[in-house]
Amino acid sequence: MRRLSLPSLPLTPKLVAFAVLAFFLIWWVPFSHVLPEGFPLRFGTYRTFQVSEIAMWAIVALGLNILTGYNGQISLGHSAFVAVGGYTAAILMVDYGWPFWSTIILGGVIAGSLGFLIGVPALRLTGPYLAIATLGLALATPQILKKYDGLTHGTQGINVRPEVPEPPAFIEDWFGIHLSNDEWIYFLALFIALVMLILAINIVRSRIGRAFVAIRDSEIAAQAMGISVPRYKTMAFAISAFYAGIAGGTYAQVVGYVSPESFNFLLSINFLTTIVVGGLASILGSILGATGLILVPELSDLVSFIPGASLPAELSWAFYGGALILVMIFAPYGLAGLVHRLTRWVSTRPRAELRNVVAGVGLGVAAVVLADQLIGGFVGQTVGWIAFLLIATFLWGPALTRMGARGYGRLLEARRGPPASPGQTGAGPDDRPSEEHPDAGKR
Amino acid sequence: MDEFWQQVMTGLATGSVYGLLALAIVLIYRSTSVLNFAQGEMAMFTTFIAWSILQWGEYWVMFPLVLLIAAGLGAFIERVIIRPVEGAPVLNIIIVTLGMFAILNNVATWRWGGIPKGFTAPPEIQVTGVKFFGEGALDIGPTVVSYHDLTILVFAVAIMAALYVFFQYTPLGLAMRATAQNSTASRLMGIRVGRMLTMGWALSAAVGAVAGLLIAPLILLQPPMMMGVLLYAFAAAVLGGLDSPVGAIVGGLIIGVSENLVGTYTPKEWLGPDMKLTVTLLIIVVVLLIRPTGIFGRRALRRV
Repeated sequence: MRRLSLPSLPLTPKLVAFAVLAFFLIWWVPFSHVLPEGFPLRFGTYRTFQVSEIAMWAIVALGLNILTGYNGQISLGHSAFVAVGGYTAAILMVDYGWPFWSTIILGGVIAGSLGFLIGVPALRLTGPYLAIATLGLALATPQILKKYDGLTHGTQGINVRPEVPEPPAFIEDWFGIHLSNDEWIYFLALFIALVMLILAINIVRSRIGRAFVAIRDSEIAAQAMGISVPRYKTMAFAISAFYAGIAGGTYAQVVGYVSPESFNFLLSINFLTTIVVGGLASILGSILGATGLILVPELSDLVSFIPGASLPAELSWAFYGGALILVMIFAPYGLAGLVHRLTRWVSTRPRAELRNVVAGVGLGVAAVVLADQLIGGFVGQTVGWIAFLLIATFLWGPALTRMGARGYGRLLEARRGPPASPGQTGAGPDDRPSEEHPDAGKR
Repeated sequence: MDEFWQQVMTGLATGSVYGLLALAIVLIYRSTSVLNFAQGEMAMFTTFIAWSILQWGEYWVMFPLVLLIAAGLGAFIERVIIRPVEGAPVLNIIIVTLGMFAILNNVATWRWGGIPKGFTAPPEIQVTGVKFFGEGALDIGPTVVSYHDLTILVFAVAIMAALYVFFQYTPLGLAMRATAQNSTASRLMGIRVGRMLTMGWALSAAVGAVAGLLIAPLILLQPPMMMGVLLYAFAAAVLGGLDSPVGAIVGGLIIGVSENLVGTYTPKEWLGPDMKLTVTLLIIVVVLLIRPTGIFGRRALRRV
């Protein structure tokens, strides 16, 4: 990588990336609404809410990834822990007037203790048996919340909106910025997610994290190394549930309303999808997965921007399903694995080839759009796509033939052979969950 | 006492539907160690196809036709969607089945609409004066059973028996069992392992289709109809042991009956019908804690 260096501050690409991301998250997301309507990447109230949602689901994904990705225990019951966190925050804030931050922490602690209690019987179960048993937890949660309505307000749920914290006065005093409620909540969610992110990085890189991975790869070997398997497995459950509880408390602030049906079992299945699509055993993957969970359903709208393609609006969920299948076929290690492969590919290619690929895509897209605008209709679209293929073939040259001829072969290689190390854990090919069933590897 | 037997019989009938779907799940799990989350939606989809055929055809013409279509759908899914991820980590394949769940559910809603439709039960047949299927109820001493509940029970038993004969006494069944047990050795013995996996999916889809056809008259035909049934079927498969077809049926029956009994006989104030799912699931978890691989499941041993 080329290093741009200024006299005093070395501007490494990583630093630049962090600066851009920080600018985007801290300034652009909340404050871009002053820009004119229709400006690209202008964040209105709805977008701000979505980014808060991403922050909140990223917390759950981090926790679930510690349990499933790093420790190899599948849980389909995390919506229950989120519900515990959410209801703890809602009940304490609305019925007892506690300050919001204490309820979030207490929600996390209660959910974590519950996770510990669930983790003990879970020691006896593995793989699909554990998955279905925890799915039972997720199924029972809405029923329990509805039945014992003395505490939970029953089916109608709890409206937390009046109690949701308002931006404290010091922000206006110190910085001279007036924040709306949504913007303040966004910063709050972002802050909580950041704290949990730093905590997660430290957990997985510490002695505890290494013990989790060792147990996942072989319980017997881990035991032989002196790791207490039951202790660390229940600890993984407790930590993971703590994360879900914190996310639940954040949910109460961000959404402002909790009800039994907010936490049904589909949420749990979504969480599992999130971490597998994002990338198992990967911190980056958890964040990418949470982003995908919120944004992919909207991507189906983008299909209509491709000339010649159309998708009935009613089929957006099928589009989501198709996207899941494609990601699993073409990126077995999830989005994080894809990012890793892409950066490695880019950094090992000659510059001329990269330039050709970028130019090929750019010119091709331009040709499609031009043909669509100038000629229009079916003919224009066909002409455009043929031009796209021609330009791409000429400019991609060696890259295309290589990928065309060996693409599927390399895919197989990536699945069966030593994989690219996923995510930023820096671990090698072994950093994958072991097979849940001993027969699975034999085929 | 009448109410008790009434509840048991209804429980047995719905339980056999759970059992049939659980059987379909087990058939796939045994050969590929994948929990197929799309099993219920596959059954729902074929039931909608059956409904379309019933618009112009006879029930007993539709029945074998739908089984064939279901088998084709299962084989197609295995070849086109599951084959590319074969050998990938199990969680990845589970996500692929979740993707199929979304696609099938959405396409069914798009094609046939979300409004619940009535679905016909198998019509009456008279064989030498004895009535099979059809309307009405049969008095069997302590209680009466509706003919449709009886039909479901008969179908479950018949399918179980047919599968038993197929797996135990035919060369193809033997080959499929061998593939499920040790695919490398089977391949070395000249069995077409890939073809066996496709057959397994086809068979499982057909069994699931029967479950869909039988439950549709009880709950209305609509895209989300199999979601609840699928969850019970998972519970049944896990309770019986994921590698045991007999366990799947037995697990289904246990869940069907205990769900009804819990709903009827527990105190209404703090349990009762609202909590029957929760209590049933609790029972399953307790059973699993005593036998972690289900009632009939074998413990998977691994040489280190």
